[in-house]
Amino acid sequence: MPAIPSRIASTFFFIKLKEASQVKGDNQVLVALNRSLKDQITAINQLFMHARIARNWGLKRLNDYEYQQSIVAMKMADDLIERVLFLEGLPNLQDPGKLMIGENVPEILKGDLKLMTRVREGLQEAIRTAEAARDFVSREILDEGLEQTEEQIDWIETQQWLIENSGLENYLQSLMEEA
Amino acid sequence: MKGKKRVLKQLQKLLNGELAARDQYFAHSRMYEDWGLGKLYERIDHEMQEETEHADAIIKRMLFLETQPDYSQQDKVRVGASVTEMLKNDLEVEYEVTDLLKKSIAICEAEQDYETREILEKLLEDTEMDHAYWLEQQLGLIKKVGLKNYLQSQM
Repeated sequence: MPAIPSRIASTFFFIKLKEASQVKGDNQVLVALNRSLKDQITAINQLFMHARIARNWGLKRLNDYEYQQSIVAMKMADDLIERVLFLEGLPNLQDPGKLMIGENVPEILKGDLKLMTRVREGLQEAIRTAEAARDFVSREILDEGLEQTEEQIDWIETQQWLIENSGLENYLQSLMEEA
Repeated sequence: MKGKKRVLKQLQKLLNGELAARDQYFAHSRMYEDWGLGKLYERIDHEMQEETEHADAIIKRMLFLETQPDYSQQDKVRVGASVTEMLKNDLEVEYEVTDLLKKSIAICEAEQDYETREILEKLLEDTEMDHAYWLEQQLGLIKKVGLKNYLQSQM
């Protein structure tokens, strides 16, 4: 067999692999799932980076939280990848979005809030698309992601309230110890 | 087994530094305890034990290389008067030890004393990633949360 570039080879392999399947996903749903996947990949990277920045500063509790949330995003990405593969699409992991990395804690929270707001909008859009295409299982998966995302947004807003009302120095002090 | 002269000279210098670091941590940890800063006491008491272990490794190696370590040349101990000053002085010592360890490792390599080199590498890792890094973080935290909050967290 002549040598073919590995990228193309894996695509061929992928198409062959799924030949026998009965379920093909709606094109628009696949696009929406991939968009949400891209957002989750961005979130994994940004949250993980923020976790380790916090650890480097000695803010253990913030490290733990950002790390946990990064893992939540990874699990969500996993669900999306599996769904896209099942629907005979190609999950796109090549093109993560821009990271919004903060240089101090309020900036970190602001960057995360911006990111999560975007993730939420993407998920809402994808849910609408899945509903219209009657892909209720994709919808359910996306809905679960939406719930987690809103919880994250709620947490970030709580932190911002705490900074405003307890003072930044006191707030940062409370992040020094593990929860 | 006889050691190389240059290596032995470095080991003696390192021993002078480790013994001084041990005493400095000894002094500082007891001051923290006296002030009621229990968490700083625990941490610095642990550092003192680690410096003792470092000195132990150097002494054992020198004896094996057939040299009597000299315990009377230990470096000056810099005892601070406030928490910030104490942390800064400790960090200074750790930076000096880091420099000396790097030089010594290079000399061990040049003299083909690979076993001494390996022992020193372990000390370098502790010095950089454990001691110096932790001290840098504390000084950074004081800036971020303010001295009073920092001290409160160390009670």
